[in-house]
Amino acid sequence: MPATSAGRRTRLRAASTPWLFASPAIVLFTLFLVIPIGYAIYLSFRGFRVEGGGAFGRRVQAFVGLDNYTTALSDPEYVAGLGRVLLYGLISIPTVLGLALLFALLLDTPRVRARGFARTAIFLPYAVPGVIASLLWGFLYLPSTSPITYLARQLGAGPLDFFGFPALYFSLANIALWSGVGFNMIIIFTSLRAIPTSVYEAARIDGASELQIAWRIKIPLVAPALVLTGLFSVIGTLQLYSEPATLRPMTTTISSSWVPLMKIYQEAFSNDNLGGAAAASVVLALGILVLSLLLLRFFQRRTFGDNA
Amino acid sequence: MTPPTLPQPLRRAGRRRTLLGAALAVALTASLAACSSDGSPAPSSGTASAAGPVTLEFWTWSLKGSDPAAKAIVDKYHQLNPNVTVKLSEVGGTTETASKLLAADQAGDTPDVVQIEYRGLPALVVAGAAKDITADVAGVKANVDANIWAQTTFNNQVYGVPQDIGPMVLTYRKDLFDKFGVQVPTTWEEYAKAAEQIHKKDPDAYIASFAANQLEFFAAHAAQAGAQWWSTDGSAWKVGIGSEASLKTADFWQDLVQRDLVKVEPLLTPEWNAQVNNGKILSWAAAAWAPSVIYSVAPDTAGKWESAPLPQWTKGQAAVPFLGGSTYLVPAKSKHAKEAAAFAAWLGASDEGSKLLLGLDLFPGANAGRQATLTHEPPKLMPQQKDFYQVTDQVIKNTTIPVTWGPNVNVAQTAFGDALNKAALDKSSFRAVYQATQQAVVADLQKSGYTVTQ
Repeated sequence: MPATSAGRRTRLRAASTPWLFASPAIVLFTLFLVIPIGYAIYLSFRGFRVEGGGAFGRRVQAFVGLDNYTTALSDPEYVAGLGRVLLYGLISIPTVLGLALLFALLLDTPRVRARGFARTAIFLPYAVPGVIASLLWGFLYLPSTSPITYLARQLGAGPLDFFGFPALYFSLANIALWSGVGFNMIIIFTSLRAIPTSVYEAARIDGASELQIAWRIKIPLVAPALVLTGLFSVIGTLQLYSEPATLRPMTTTISSSWVPLMKIYQEAFSNDNLGGAAAASVVLALGILVLSLLLLRFFQRRTFGDNA
Repeated sequence: MTPPTLPQPLRRAGRRRTLLGAALAVALTASLAACSSDGSPAPSSGTASAAGPVTLEFWTWSLKGSDPAAKAIVDKYHQLNPNVTVKLSEVGGTTETASKLLAADQAGDTPDVVQIEYRGLPALVVAGAAKDITADVAGVKANVDANIWAQTTFNNQVYGVPQDIGPMVLTYRKDLFDKFGVQVPTTWEEYAKAAEQIHKKDPDAYIASFAANQLEFFAAHAAQAGAQWWSTDGSAWKVGIGSEASLKTADFWQDLVQRDLVKVEPLLTPEWNAQVNNGKILSWAAAAWAPSVIYSVAPDTAGKWESAPLPQWTKGQAAVPFLGGSTYLVPAKSKHAKEAAAFAAWLGASDEGSKLLLGLDLFPGANAGRQATLTHEPPKLMPQQKDFYQVTDQVIKNTTIPVTWGPNVNVAQTAFGDALNKAALDKSSFRAVYQATQQAVVADLQKSGYTVTQ
């Protein structure tokens, strides 16, 4: 009957419509994410092995099984790099988020002056590329070029070693702080502005001070933004690269595989070991994924309560 | 005596044509039908593809597109070979160039001529990315001394034409050495004594910085002591980083670092530059290219420096290896390999090309360029040292120690540099660093499938 076939056609069209709308995204996602990831996974099982004997036998790509994974996971440098990143994160994430929250709350107080200027001034360092920021700070850290060291010497103190242990971690965290606070502050500040003012009015009628409002109302209400910025910071920390890589030529304390990404870069582009680099990347990506999911689950229960 | 219209190199090319032709005849078959000694003007006209215009992509950091002198060289070649246009592009130093070339090789779209330091060549050869150009450049082999040519030859196959070389010298602050009453050291023992004297006279001053990431220098230093970090024994590799001769050099540096007689500091950092400018780092044991590097960061100190032959392990000896320098290779997948090899041979090894390289402040590897140095002004860093190039020429003649590099120099580079930096900071054993590097290099060779003998 014609009615049935028309119905089938409509149902078919209805079924294909979402796919049609989603197809541009799916195509782009496949082209630029799925395929590269697939290729990286493929590469992680491959390595260069000598074909034909002799001292100058040619190295050709071959399947090597889980070799690259066992090498990456048993490499003390790679594991030590993860440890350094965690230590760096322990210092940088709380300070960056703490300061960002503090600045956002200060900007949100009713009688603040020059709000626009302050917001821009705090945000501005974020616009400086990480490499430039690292170079700027590098010059401020090096004894012969540093005005800080110069002042310290004038005041009779010895030369300051910004690249020693553990000063190096603080020096690096300081760069993250300088450039990262503004960005995180904007996110938290935006979320603060989204809170209806009636809530504050009710609190004031109840006799709450500004400090109490900040502590009991604002912070709990921007908790989702804090979770979001926290997650970004964790991911950013594990992907730490440009600061130590830029500072490395200036000091002997940063090795060429100081953080996981530097190790991956070194394997891929100076040791000509794409397979090993791919395997280490997969391990790092999985680590970030698992950590992010765990963090999200943990905070979702606490910040969003039952409706999550 | 010759037609004035015919420029110098073309006449030479004409003379070489028979030899080159014979070699080509072996290498190629049918496509060579077009090649004859019919007096075609350019040496690169040997292949069928030369009929149309050819653009050679040249990866180099020595010839910068923004440098008029480099531009003039490229234009000159185009003038001599109207069919060939050379396009310069700078892709970075040896490490970057090597990794980009390997990527380009995998993609099947390579440049045509690539500059690389000698130490980077074996890795590209075993990766199959460098072309065997033995036959193409046989005609210019006589223009280059054997100890220099040997740096591009593996298994009797030639993979590159030398561009510049690094005869090893000690470049030092003559004025401050005189002021402190320090003799220029001729042995490493005297070097250690000089380091002591300098540091005693001025506690802020050091004879040199100890730059742990300079793998090449430590390899050369060990080679001078009789060690060979990489060598081949038949079809197997031998690694000598942890050999006793090599470890002796580790002890030498450990002693200087532990007594705080050298400053643990990487080269060419803003810190190093400031120290050099302030007369707190007094020398650099490197090669004849060092003066132009120092001049670039400390031009105000010009006239205060001089260069002397490198100190020796045994008094009275003079043998040294080369340090640094680079070569032109032709990628295996170059679409214009013939023209590329001809260009590389012209620039690196012809009389005209090598003299032009001298104009770029390089130390040319070919005889004509080297001859030209003898009448050349000394480097800008030491205008008063009139015998600079006589000194370096003698050093080249004394460069009789071959430094052989292996297919995994980069693995050693990172392992060695990181560990040595750490040992210098922690004051732990340098010997252990050399031995660990030995193990890392051997393990990597074996993992790749090479045979390694003890």
